[in-house]
Amino acid sequence: MTSLWLAWRTTKRYRVRAVLAVVGVAVIGALLFDMLLLSRGLLASFADLLNSGGFDVRIVGSEGMPIVRLPIAGSTRLANELRALPEVRDVVLIRIERATLWSNERTSRPVTLVGTTQASGGPYTIVRGDDLPRDSSFDRCPILVSRHLAASLGVEPGSSVKISVNPDGVRSALPAVSCRVTGVVNFFFASAGENSVATTMTALQQALSVPAFAPDASAGEPGVDADLILAASQPATGPAAAVRAIHRVRPDLRAYSNEDVVALFNQNGFAYFRQISFVLSSLTTVFAFLLVATLLTVSVNQRLGEIAALRALGISRGRIASILLWESALLVGGGALLALPLGGLLALGLDHLLRQMPGLPERLHFFVFQWRAVATHAALFGVTAAAAAAYPMWLTARLPIAATLRREVVG
Amino acid sequence: MSVVEARRVTRLFPMAAGPVAAVRDVSLSVADGEYVAVSGPSGCGKSTLLHLVGVVDQPTSGEILFESRDVAALKEAERSRIRLVRIGFVFQRFFLLPMLTARENIELPQAEARVPAADRRARTRELLEYVGLADRADHLPSQLSGGEMQRVAIARALANRPALLVADEPTGELDEQTGGHIADLFDRVHADGTAILVVTHNPVLAARASRRLTMKSGSLVS
Amino acid sequence: MSRWFRVTAIALLSAAALAHASDSPVDAQAPGVLLSRQLAARAHVSIGDTVTFAADPEGTRRVTLRVAGIYEPTPDPMRFTAQRLEAHLHLPDLVALVADGADPAAREAVDAINVKLTDPGDAARFGAELAARAPGVAVTPTSRARDDDPFAVLDRFHVAISAVTVIGATAFLLALMVIRAEERRDTVAILRLIGISRRSLLAAVAIEGLLIAVVGAIFGVLTAFAAEGLVNRVFQARYDTALVFLRVTPSIALRSVAIALPLGVAAGIGASWPLLRGEILSLFRR
Repeated sequence: MTSLWLAWRTTKRYRVRAVLAVVGVAVIGALLFDMLLLSRGLLASFADLLNSGGFDVRIVGSEGMPIVRLPIAGSTRLANELRALPEVRDVVLIRIERATLWSNERTSRPVTLVGTTQASGGPYTIVRGDDLPRDSSFDRCPILVSRHLAASLGVEPGSSVKISVNPDGVRSALPAVSCRVTGVVNFFFASAGENSVATTMTALQQALSVPAFAPDASAGEPGVDADLILAASQPATGPAAAVRAIHRVRPDLRAYSNEDVVALFNQNGFAYFRQISFVLSSLTTVFAFLLVATLLTVSVNQRLGEIAALRALGISRGRIASILLWESALLVGGGALLALPLGGLLALGLDHLLRQMPGLPERLHFFVFQWRAVATHAALFGVTAAAAAAYPMWLTARLPIAATLRREVVG
Repeated sequence: MSVVEARRVTRLFPMAAGPVAAVRDVSLSVADGEYVAVSGPSGCGKSTLLHLVGVVDQPTSGEILFESRDVAALKEAERSRIRLVRIGFVFQRFFLLPMLTARENIELPQAEARVPAADRRARTRELLEYVGLADRADHLPSQLSGGEMQRVAIARALANRPALLVADEPTGELDEQTGGHIADLFDRVHADGTAILVVTHNPVLAARASRRLTMKSGSLVS
Repeated sequence: MSRWFRVTAIALLSAAALAHASDSPVDAQAPGVLLSRQLAARAHVSIGDTVTFAADPEGTRRVTLRVAGIYEPTPDPMRFTAQRLEAHLHLPDLVALVADGADPAAREAVDAINVKLTDPGDAARFGAELAARAPGVAVTPTSRARDDDPFAVLDRFHVAISAVTVIGATAFLLALMVIRAEERRDTVAILRLIGISRRSLLAAVAIEGLLIAVVGAIFGVLTAFAAEGLVNRVFQARYDTALVFLRVTPSIALRSVAIALPLGVAAGIGASWPLLRGEILSLFRR
């Protein structure tokens, strides 16, 4: 006849209120669990997205992440210097421009044009067609188009299009160049409806054809100012060592490991979700505590005569307190367990809802399952169960036995 | 030898209009195996006296000695232990746990006293036979009549073989015939050597006692 | 252009901190600039001080300006964590500072043009026509369509969370009402036994539920107002902004009450229903 067994029998006896309490805790607990998932989910998803390209260091020419585009002077020579560093395994130059893509004389779309020196295996998955060719001597302007853009313009691998670039700070019109669609892809970093195009840096350089972007290169490579340089660190040394090595070579540039980028976004871009996660986690925990404590207190008040009789029979205060603690644990624990699958379902819905936000990469998720969230959820509810039982336990410990028995007889 | 002795106990209750003495300077002892009944009009302090003697309440002044131990000098845990293994309490309103069967209600105080499970089950079977409810062991209180519930309560009070059985209006909620059965049961308990202190309005029950006392206005008058 | 300015202005504000307001003719003739409160505090400058802005980190192209005023930037919920280190110049002064002399079109180019239409409802048509005439120009109405507005998404998110909270609270409310109903089991049995009709009892339960719901709703609204003040104070201090994070409007308060009232009545009736419908004798407690 353990305290748990007695608590279970009490809960069974008052099963309607117990079921309702468990359902209430489960629903609130689902929300708490989701807020715990949200608190680090977005970061985890963003980190996953950054790591998916295979590069773990990002180099820009300005403070903070590239919202402001400042070209990195001498990018090609810099890339060669970086490749020579023992801490660096690979380097890729990236340049992003606004452009207009014409599928025919009349139909055009504004696009984001990304030029890259990465031969293949970029941050995209190929839906149809082929990747950018390694050797662009046969194909002067091979491009990959996003699935949304391809559907919108009705282009397929093999289609011919024209692209005219609209670089920042350059107001004169640039001539359009003819390009060939080699593949239709899903870009990792593009939002659902975004029109994105990727091409080789050579093709982009030719599309720009502006003398101000003078070549500054080793033999055989086009000179180009990159917006962003991606570097992959050597596994043995890691990204932090690569960042330090890059700073030694070019202290004027900003080099960030993926962890640094995630930390920056956590500080600024994701602040709203961090705050709302914290606020709602706190509120739901307090809510669950208040409601279970109220339920238990009312339940104890209803059974005071019974409890006084047990005390008169010699059942100790400690035993009665432990029965109440187990009652709380059963209600809160049952609800907390049920909250996990409920929370999972709710998270799918909330994630789908939040991902409708414009401009978000399609692969970014707000709610990502982590065992740490489960552990925090369990710990919070453990504390809640104990705290919710505290006042009813105190009530029964202070209960005047004789006065209560008298009151029950008179009542 | 006295099982319990009350020496000039007084119990005051603070009220807005001033303290009220529910029990006033009462001395009482119950010897081993003695059957004592206390009667009196409503509000005379019978139940308060019972609570004091049953170590459920503490006097404002005076002494309660249980088996020669001054109850006031004991900690609450020790008093609780006395109530568990040396005193059996029977209430007017039965106070059986509604979610436990008759068998489980009787086992509960034994479990609290850490009686091994096999011994508990044997003792419980014995007590259910004793009170004539062996065939109702697995019934919940809601499935028992008033008299049956009170018999289970008596069995529960006897579970740990107490030295003293204390009963507060045990037939208060029962009809005359059923009350008579309870009185018979009390006779058996007394015959088996347990001291009994009962507070009752029931003259049939009071008449079975070997010593009858009357209370009036908080004092024993006879 | 404005991006260049933001990036480099801070670098030279340390020099500006050393500049003093003076009565010299040059300073008095310097063009005026408005600084955000945050920038003025960071650079320790006040109205009348002379500051220097440059368009590049080397400071090769610079201009001296006079602080004509300090303003509180309009809070931007999309950038509430950003430190609003910004300044306002007359457009010609900014162009003179940042335009690239080698680019013939630079002095004639801006980042954005704000247009106030005679008929705001014409925004979509105007935008479409302009886009057709000037490809490469992005035309965006300031009133975004709901499905393209991040705040519309957040609004739906908040509504979803509210709905979940209401469901959880309803379960608890029902549990408490069930306990209340059980406590009054004997009372209801006696009333029914002496002939009080179910309708009368139902009305009593409904009125009681309504009263509890009204009191609870009023308490909830008052708590929300108190929370509004606290949340805004905490976050405005935390992020050094005038942005209002939480606002309990009369519409929100009314909606909350409108949800709470029927829930309270329904919970009271639902919890008492077995007592009102069950057999009288079965209600008497054992």
